Amino acid sequence: MMLRWLMVLIALLVSSSVLAAELYVYNWSEYMPDRILRDFQKETGIKVHMSTYDSNEAMYAKVKLLGAKGYDIVVPSTDYVARMIREGLLQPLDKSKLTNLHNLDPRLLGQSFDPTNTYSVPYMWGSTAIAINTQDPVAAQVRSLADLWKPELQGKLLLPNDMRGVIGLALKRMGRSLNERDPAVVAQACDLLPDVVRNVRLFDSDSPKQALLNREVAVAVLWNGEAFIASRENPAIQYIYPPEGFSLWIDNLCIPKNARNVEAAHRFIDYLLRPEVAARIAEEFTYSSPNIPARALLDPKVQASPVVYPPDDVLARGEFETDLGPATAAYEQCWMRIKTK
Amino acid sequence: MRRDGLFRRLVIAATVVWMAVFGVVPNLLVLGASVSHPSPTTFLSPGFTLGNYALLLDGIHAQILFSSLKLSAAVTAICFGLAYPFAALLARAGRRTRHVLLVLVVIPFWTNSLVRTYAMTVLLNTSGLVNRVLFALGLIDAPLTLLYTTGAVVAGLVYTLLPFMILPLYAALDRFDPRLEEAARDLGAGRFQVLWYIKLPLVLPGIITGCMLVFLPGLGMFYVADVLGGAKTMLVGNFIRDQFLVTRQWPLGAAASTLLTMIMIVLLLIYWWSQRRIHEGKLDV
Repeated sequence: MMLRWLMVLIALLVSSSVLAAELYVYNWSEYMPDRILRDFQKETGIKVHMSTYDSNEAMYAKVKLLGAKGYDIVVPSTDYVARMIREGLLQPLDKSKLTNLHNLDPRLLGQSFDPTNTYSVPYMWGSTAIAINTQDPVAAQVRSLADLWKPELQGKLLLPNDMRGVIGLALKRMGRSLNERDPAVVAQACDLLPDVVRNVRLFDSDSPKQALLNREVAVAVLWNGEAFIASRENPAIQYIYPPEGFSLWIDNLCIPKNARNVEAAHRFIDYLLRPEVAARIAEEFTYSSPNIPARALLDPKVQASPVVYPPDDVLARGEFETDLGPATAAYEQCWMRIKTK
Repeated sequence: MRRDGLFRRLVIAATVVWMAVFGVVPNLLVLGASVSHPSPTTFLSPGFTLGNYALLLDGIHAQILFSSLKLSAAVTAICFGLAYPFAALLARAGRRTRHVLLVLVVIPFWTNSLVRTYAMTVLLNTSGLVNRVLFALGLIDAPLTLLYTTGAVVAGLVYTLLPFMILPLYAALDRFDPRLEEAARDLGAGRFQVLWYIKLPLVLPGIITGCMLVFLPGLGMFYVADVLGGAKTMLVGNFIRDQFLVTRQWPLGAAASTLLTMIMIVLLLIYWWSQRRIHEGKLDV
């Protein structure tokens, strides 16, 4: 009797794993609507399991530790794409299976982190710049990065809880690149930071709009998607692209080197590249979609918003983060110093 | 009788295997990592060095350790101050009151502590309950800055860890035989003498257990510092997490983790010493 049950159980387990293909997606939190996964399963029969992370570092550590298997799709940002390619953690995509590739904005392809897009296709992109609550008289005056250093902002500022995001502010203020590789320049930038950190009420990269909407802070350096949602809830919140420059990012769909379900992973990527699917994602999470026909399907208010789709002259001031190589150590030392005060 | 012996052996064997696989082995791995060389591409490279420990006691890192130890000591002291009167009351209360109070102590555990920590932000924020009540009472005329301060971190830790101080204190005080106190008073001891020579030594193991259960997590609960402190306060726990996930200096993180284990061993030794005093020493009344 016991034996028979056991056999039934085993048969069930085996059949379920053979019949239904399963896909393991590792993505940022608050980045992909559940119904997209359900619809994909309805259409293809492939069940998608999604787990989430809130920093590239956490994703990278896990993928690396698992020997680039365990997940079929990961979504690293620009600098981590470069790093993961360099360390052999990603596999080349089979472009013949990506029939919707032509929908992507050519301005976002062929960037330095993966010049031929052999390993990555853009999922979403956006900027990191300054949101101000104009109801606060001091915050209403903020126009540039340099303004963040003003002592009047004490206790009113939110910065990302992210090493490169914070150090990048000082580098841009000095007129340098976000990807500065000279340790001496990084150290110089780091010396500027205590004066801006003194103004910081909190560091947050999870849901920075919350503190802005609760009026805990009046100025926040955050992602454009968060800023757009915040400004929709409180029209007094404005998003500023500082004249000194700002950071641009692309989060990219990639397949880890030893992924098990490569075929299904390609199908899922191609599915996400469909205009109507990309539009639904960009409607729910208001970052910028790299999918040109998808943009036309969006709410005209979103399409016209310079927060989500900045004009070209603004875009020209932005810079993508790339992998720093050995210079990373200088950034890490600086970050430790800032966090210890 | 034989079956009983077999059952006993099975239970013990299961526990030993469990402890070995999930307790001893991971700790040995951490210990091994803490003496390995750091490596920028592979997390760590095997070898033997004490450099990570030296690095831990150097400049910035020592500063983080020290301020976290200080914070956790303050949390432990506050917990003790709040828990002792409550535990004493509990030990003296009638059966029914005691049950109700104990259930009240345990109820918060039904909700995940991370969720409870987030709930505290709702109480402490600018337009939160605390500010509103103070405002309504006319005690303040502008909202206080409560959230994202060290004070909020301390409050969050005290709130989360208080039951861990109450329960061992209660257990110790409950076991304390009040007749010893009466006898001492009959023999002419003053209040202070009773407390110092009779009560304290007998309750000490409970106090140490409570302090241990509060002090160590007080060093480690990184999410409380992140959620309530605005990621500005670094506990040893935040430091360890950052070494593993952000800067990927596993050996340094492992060394910090081992240091926490060593603190625990010291506290356990003190506990053992206080227990032995009761059972073998002059205190054997």
